[in-house]
Amino acid sequence: MAFKKKSIGAWCITLAMYALAITWLYPYLWMITSSLKSTEEIYNTGLFEGSFSLDNFVFLFDTAEKLNRPFMRALFNSFFVAVTVTCSVLLTSAYVAYAMAKIDFKGRKQLEGFLIFQMVLPGMMLTIPLFVLIKQFGLIDSYAALIVPTLMSGWGVYMMSQVFKGTPNDYIDAAKLDSANIHQIIFKLMIPLNKSIVAIVALFTFTGAWDNFMWPLIVISDVDKMPLSVLLATFSKQYGLYVGPVMAGAVLQTLPLLVLFIVFRKYFLQGMSLSLK
Amino acid sequence: MKLFDRVTEAQVGAAIAIGFLLYNLVFWAYPFLWLAILSLSDWRFFGTPSYAGLDNLFFILQDPEFWNSMWNVARFLLLYIPIVLTCSLAFAFGLQFIGRGKAFIALCFLLANISSGVAYSLVFTKIYSSTGPLNSFLFEYFGFKIPWLTSPTFAMLAITLVVTWKFVGYYGLILYSGLLAIPKEIYDAATLDNASGFKRLFKITLPMLNAQIIMVLVFAITVGFGIFTEPFMMTGGGPLDSTNMPQIVMYETAFKRLEPSRAALMAIIIATASYLLIKLVRKIFEKNVEIV
Repeated sequence: MAFKKKSIGAWCITLAMYALAITWLYPYLWMITSSLKSTEEIYNTGLFEGSFSLDNFVFLFDTAEKLNRPFMRALFNSFFVAVTVTCSVLLTSAYVAYAMAKIDFKGRKQLEGFLIFQMVLPGMMLTIPLFVLIKQFGLIDSYAALIVPTLMSGWGVYMMSQVFKGTPNDYIDAAKLDSANIHQIIFKLMIPLNKSIVAIVALFTFTGAWDNFMWPLIVISDVDKMPLSVLLATFSKQYGLYVGPVMAGAVLQTLPLLVLFIVFRKYFLQGMSLSLK
Repeated sequence: MKLFDRVTEAQVGAAIAIGFLLYNLVFWAYPFLWLAILSLSDWRFFGTPSYAGLDNLFFILQDPEFWNSMWNVARFLLLYIPIVLTCSLAFAFGLQFIGRGKAFIALCFLLANISSGVAYSLVFTKIYSSTGPLNSFLFEYFGFKIPWLTSPTFAMLAITLVVTWKFVGYYGLILYSGLLAIPKEIYDAATLDNASGFKRLFKITLPMLNAQIIMVLVFAITVGFGIFTEPFMMTGGGPLDSTNMPQIVMYETAFKRLEPSRAALMAIIIATASYLLIKLVRKIFEKNVEIV
């Protein structure tokens, strides 16, 4: 439905939609401004009132360190884990997806069936037995415990293979005539041609790894290996009255996702296959 | 030569597939085997599991905390589904009226969807607190405060609203893509027949959106059975267990009470319940809509 000339009703709805969109951002705004205020001011001043400073962040990186809450370290841990997992998922998904979409081998259909089956079964069922497995491997309280179980993703493979199928075979045949090997086909042809799905798999995998909470809560008890999500939760539980620093921690936890989202927004909307113009 | 090339390529493909399957054998199939073994045994993280038959099942059947948590899923869904469905439908309808700013508005709503669970749970805990901005606003304009997270009556609603905040943009865009697919001619015909707006909504729009609405319902049910971070962070399952969700009970059974075998069976029951509810909803509401 296109509304060329807007009636008064249409204008009201437009206005309401913009108002709601801003309202939806309110928790973000409140979090960011609160992180810049002293704890006493947070509840007593309006959204943009009060004196702003970076004291809460200094507290988080400086004082909390002495309280055995190493936030700098946790930030590094989160980045390390999320980046490793994302790279691995992208790499493995691209290869398996290419094989599934473009190579004719025995059992290809069955593999697709397996992927769908895997996606339908809820992952939360695996939490406890995976913990047992990681414990058997002696990996509790290690980075490996956070990384190894999510090195490959059935969802990533499935999403990429669905899109890879749409890439014309002629391109691949032409590349083969130029004696390109499988690595070159994937890195110079499939990935550049299907950037949007790669970006989406990357964005969701990174977000999933960064935001994972229950799993690291179970397998990590050493504060030096904790990702930010868990360290922030334990900090808030113990020092919840320090509202300012807790909000600063929430900002740190949110910021990378926010940046990624803004950078990839075009692909994100494209990938939701929407004609939002 | 050509034939030889093809054979090696098929082998490469098979090798890649085997690598993927081997990984899944260790980190997916093997854990499932453990899940089955654990659910039938008595084990406390040490030694070898001893066969316990249906003991775990009998225990869970009599565990009021577990059934309370399943009841809480029902309470959550009874609040969440009407609220989130209405809001995302309104969002989808509203988005049709927007010209240029469509992407901006969609992104504002989607931002909530990619935010970090731990972070926004902390933020909403502060927003809901008795001196927080929401209650200050209510007190100033309406003269009352709501004990959002400290009263058993409101705690579930408070969590529902947070989850709604998170998912409206995503569900709304799913519905919006469905709206775009409805042919305009159907509305024109209905207008010629003098069908009221109300009639058009219930006789055309909602039936035509059936596939998308079912999709949203399936997602919503999955959220209900899988929710952990929000109640764990915001209420810890309280007050009076009113927001104690199955995932929290499972987590505590396994890692606080050290009864992983019981927790394993809980996981199976939760997943089965989720599956059955989804199946039921599809059976009742799913229709094959064809555009003739």
